This record gives sequence, C-alpha cells and structure tokens, in this order.
Amino acid sequence: MATHTAAPRQRWRRYGTSYLMLLPFLGLFAGFLVWPLANSLYLSFTKFDGVNAPEFQGLENFRHLLFDDDRFRHALGNTFLYVVASVGIGTLLSLGLALAFSGSSWPHRIMRTIFFLPSVTSSIALMLLWKWIFNPGDFGLANTAMTWFGGRAVEWLATPGLTIPILVLMSVWGGMGYGMVLYVAGLNTIPQEYYEAARIDGAGTWQQFRRVTLPLLRPVTTYVVVTGLIGAFQVFEAVYIVFRGTNNIGGVLDSGLMIVPYLYDQGFTHFKLGYASAIAWVLFLIIFALSMVNLRIGRALKEL
Amino acid sequence: MAVAPTTTPIVADPAAAPRQAPAAGAGTTWRGHLLRLPFYLLSLTMIAPFYWMLITVFKPVTELNRQPPSFVPEHPTLNNFYDPGYSPTQVNPGHLQGIFQRFQVDFGFGRFMFNSLVITVAITVGSLLVASLAAYVITKHRVPGRRLIFLLIVASMMVPWQTTLVPNYVIMRNLGWLDTYQGYIVPALAKAFVLFFLVQFLHSVPDELIQAARVDGAGEWRIWWQIVLPLLRPALAAMSIFIVLAEWNNFLWPLIIVQSDEMANIPVALARLNSYFTGAQNQGAIMAGGLLASLPSIAFFLAFQRYFTRGIVLSGLKG
Repeated sequence: MATHTAAPRQRWRRYGTSYLMLLPFLGLFAGFLVWPLANSLYLSFTKFDGVNAPEFQGLENFRHLLFDDDRFRHALGNTFLYVVASVGIGTLLSLGLALAFSGSSWPHRIMRTIFFLPSVTSSIALMLLWKWIFNPGDFGLANTAMTWFGGRAVEWLATPGLTIPILVLMSVWGGMGYGMVLYVAGLNTIPQEYYEAARIDGAGTWQQFRRVTLPLLRPVTTYVVVTGLIGAFQVFEAVYIVFRGTNNIGGVLDSGLMIVPYLYDQGFTHFKLGYASAIAWVLFLIIFALSMVNLRIGRALKEL
Repeated sequence: MAVAPTTTPIVADPAAAPRQAPAAGAGTTWRGHLLRLPFYLLSLTMIAPFYWMLITVFKPVTELNRQPPSFVPEHPTLNNFYDPGYSPTQVNPGHLQGIFQRFQVDFGFGRFMFNSLVITVAITVGSLLVASLAAYVITKHRVPGRRLIFLLIVASMMVPWQTTLVPNYVIMRNLGWLDTYQGYIVPALAKAFVLFFLVQFLHSVPDELIQAARVDGAGEWRIWWQIVLPLLRPALAAMSIFIVLAEWNNFLWPLIIVQSDEMANIPVALARLNSYFTGAQNQGAIMAGGLLASLPSIAFFLAFQRYFTRGIVLSGLKG
C-alpha cells in the first residue's frame, strides 16, 4: 500500500517541474491542434451549420464530395494542374538560378537577393500588385507590354484559359528564389575534389553536371519538390485576391477554383461547416501522403 | 496558425558567401556570361513588378489610367498616403482619399500596422518561450513519456493547418474571441516546427553546462531562463525570422476571425480595400498600402540577415 502511494508522489516530486514546464506548450498544442483535428474529423461526418448542433450523417459528406460535387472535382483538377506546373517549372528555374549565381562575388549576391525578394515581401501586397499589373485596361502593365510587341489588350483575369497559367506564373515568380537558396546551399556541400576527379577522367562540363552535380543534389531536389508540392496544394491568397468575383470565389467559370478556396467558400461563405471539414480532411490525406513519400525517399536515400 | 513550414524550416541567407566557387564550371568567362544571360534577363522580370508598384504609389490619380502609362511619375505626389485636398463633401475626381484616410478607424491605416505589430511581437515572443521550455525538458530532463510527446509533435508537422480551421473557428466563437487580439495570438503559440528546431539545436549543447548549474543549486526555471535561453540565442533568432515573416503576412486565419475594421491586420485590411475600392483611380492608394505592408518585413529581413547564421544551415539535407 505504502509503495503504491509513494511511487506517484516521488515521481511527482522528481518530475513535477518538468511536467509544469511542458504544460504551456502541450496545453496549447492539445487545445488548438490535437483536439481541433479530432473534432474536424468528427464534423466531417456531420451536417453542421455552426448554429444548430452537428447532425451525424455518416459518410454522406464524402460521398457527395467525391461523386456528386462537380465544383469539387473541378477544384481538384485545377489544383493538380497548378501544383504540377508550378512545382515543375519552379524547381527547374531554381536549379538553373543556383547554378548561375552560386558564387560569392557581389553580382551573384545581388542577383540572389533580387530573386529572393518576393519571399520576404507581403504576399497580399504582391497579389494586389499582380491584379493591378493584369488590369484589363490598356494602361495596365501587362497590356502595355502587349502593345510593345504588336498585340492587343487582353482581359487577363476574365479569360478562363489564362487563369491557371497566370496562377502558375505568380507562383513561380514568387517561389523560385527560395528554391534557388536551397540549391545554392546544396551545391556548396559538394566537395570540389569530385569535379577535379571527374575532369581528370575526361568529363566535360555537361558530364560533370550529369554525373556529379545532379546525383549529389538529389536530397535537395526531393526537399524542394516535396515542400513545394505541399505549399502549392494549400494555395489560397492568389485565388482569393486576384481572381475572386463578387459572388464567386473561383473566378470566371470557377477557372481558378482550388481546394483551400473551396473549403473557405463552403465553410465561411455558405456556412456548411461539416462539408468544409470533409474537404479539409481530403486535403489532409493528400498532404499526409506527400509527407510519407518524403520520409520514404529520405530513408531510401540514406540506405544508398 | 501561420504558414508553418511543413518540414524543418531552412535558415537561409541568400546574400551569404558560399564556401567555394560555383560548381557549374564556366566561371566568369564570356561563355559563362552567355550561359547566364537568360537569368540576367529573368531578373528584369523580377524587378519590373516591384518598380511598377513603386511608381504607382507616387502617381496622382489622373496619371494612373493614362495610355501609354508613364514610367517615371510626371507629377510625383504623396496623396496616395494622405490627400490634403480630399473633402468628403466636395467630390473632385482628381482628389481621392489616401490610404490613411480610407478607413473610418482611429489612425487610419496606422491602426492596422499597430495591430499587425502587436500580434506579430506577441506570437513571436510567446511561441519562442513556450517552445524553448518544452524543448529544454524534452532534451535535458529524463521525464517518462518525452519520446512519445516529441514524436506526436513531429508527426503533427505533416498536418496542413487548414484542417483545424473549422473547429478552431468554433472554439474562438464559443470563447468570444472572434475579433480580439487573443483570437489571433493564443491559437498560434504552439508551433511544432519551432519546437523541433530547438530540440535539434539543444541536442548539440553539452549536458555538463546544465549539470554544473544544477550542482550550484540553480532551480530548473532559473536554468531555463539564465542558461538555456542564452545558449539558444542563435536558434531563437533564426526561428524568429520565420515567425515574424509568417505572422506579419498571415491572412486566412485573420480573415476568418476578424469582423470589425478596427481589429484587422494589414493583410485583411488590404484585402478589404481590394473589394471596397475597385477601379484604376484607387490603385495608387492600394499600392501605397502594399508598400507599407512590405517595407517592414523586407527591412526586418535585411537587418537580421546576419543572424540567419553564416552561410546556410540546412537541417533537412544532412541525412
């Protein structure tokens, strides 16, 4: 009996302060992350308008989402197209920039700072700037540039076929400097001796790049691609600021509708909070799968 | 609550000098410059939008929708910030409200800058304090369950935070925290990526330092405050850059919890401006707001660039 009561007390005396010090983080973590996560899973099985109590309806939200909801299918298609294009182009340009400007001379440093600038600029300000640049009037910067090349003014933001390309352009423009910085870091971990050895074996510039640089940059590439994919799946501001119409979040004909904007639209414009939670869980599963791929690739690389 | 990096954040200084020469070969020969030419041209497309923003800010209303546009403001003006000629009773197409006159709140746009400042500072300081406490316990105390706790926190980095959006909104509403500072701040304090980074950093700090203090009779809270925090300084500085940039620019969460104009942060205020005032004649003031939003975060980054550690710390790449 005595040992039973003594053990916890002793344990408390020994670790009490430790648990107390963990408490602020763990309390906030549990209250605003773990519990909401579980709660959103529950809500995804309910009909919930935010006023009346949630009404359990099983898998109905997911069934509707995956089989009946054309807008969601459209949002998924747009998102995948956008993600693949922006990450693909962005990663290639990041690598190119890193190869071009990895030196320590001041022109290289200035170039790196210029390309990195959007990463530290207010993203809403940048989105408003793009909206102004793509102004449909002939005085907009994009349309002025069109006239220089003999073109005509274009309704950039009201042409459905241009929506995804413009979103990709904004994403690549804003993100390639970040990838470049990661690639520069990766390049600088490659020992110079490897290149010397390759040269002695008669390898030209291209062969050195193919046989030395690229393979050794593989962990960086994995990191840039996976974090890029995860970030791109969560795109919201570009759609909300640049393409949102008066009563439609996705722009003309939903041409810019994506997962998170649709989540916002269903949850906080139409107050279908249960349905929005189901969308949130689809997003969660996509990103979780990507993270797992990231872990697996990382582990596989370590075993090489 | 912000755009937390899903994996370990990378602390980077784009202007830092790398250890050695570029790997691509070519160097500074004419061939090297030729190969770089497309990228030099690409840098013009980086500068052009920023330049367009800058000149728009200083153009008078009548110059904003001129065709062809002027590429140097012909009549530079500060009216887009504050227009002394504007009068609410007399409509004059040449005079519109500047950004500081657009909102009917005390101090105009200054109010949003103040809100953003309060929120950013509170979240940065608060999240670093709670994470450093937890990181200290996890790395230097042998408490039962610490591995499980750490694993859980690391696993949470794979969760997109938007998944918690709806329940957190409901929590805020039930607590009466919509439209309040605590609604911005409290849910954003427990940042898994910060804890993860600090734990990794503390692993490299020898236990002897802490043992010595313990032998000298220092309590755990004092050890944390007087030994651990100073030791963590480079890591805290690096993390603060990420937190400050993310919180200063945070948008989706504020968009959901803010109702009044008074409680808007800069991004929400700019988004409202964007929907209240359409039309080219308003773009001068909107770009002025964008400039006011961007300058502090650019200045902050440039000022603390050196704290980004020399060169680049790439915790994700060593494996």
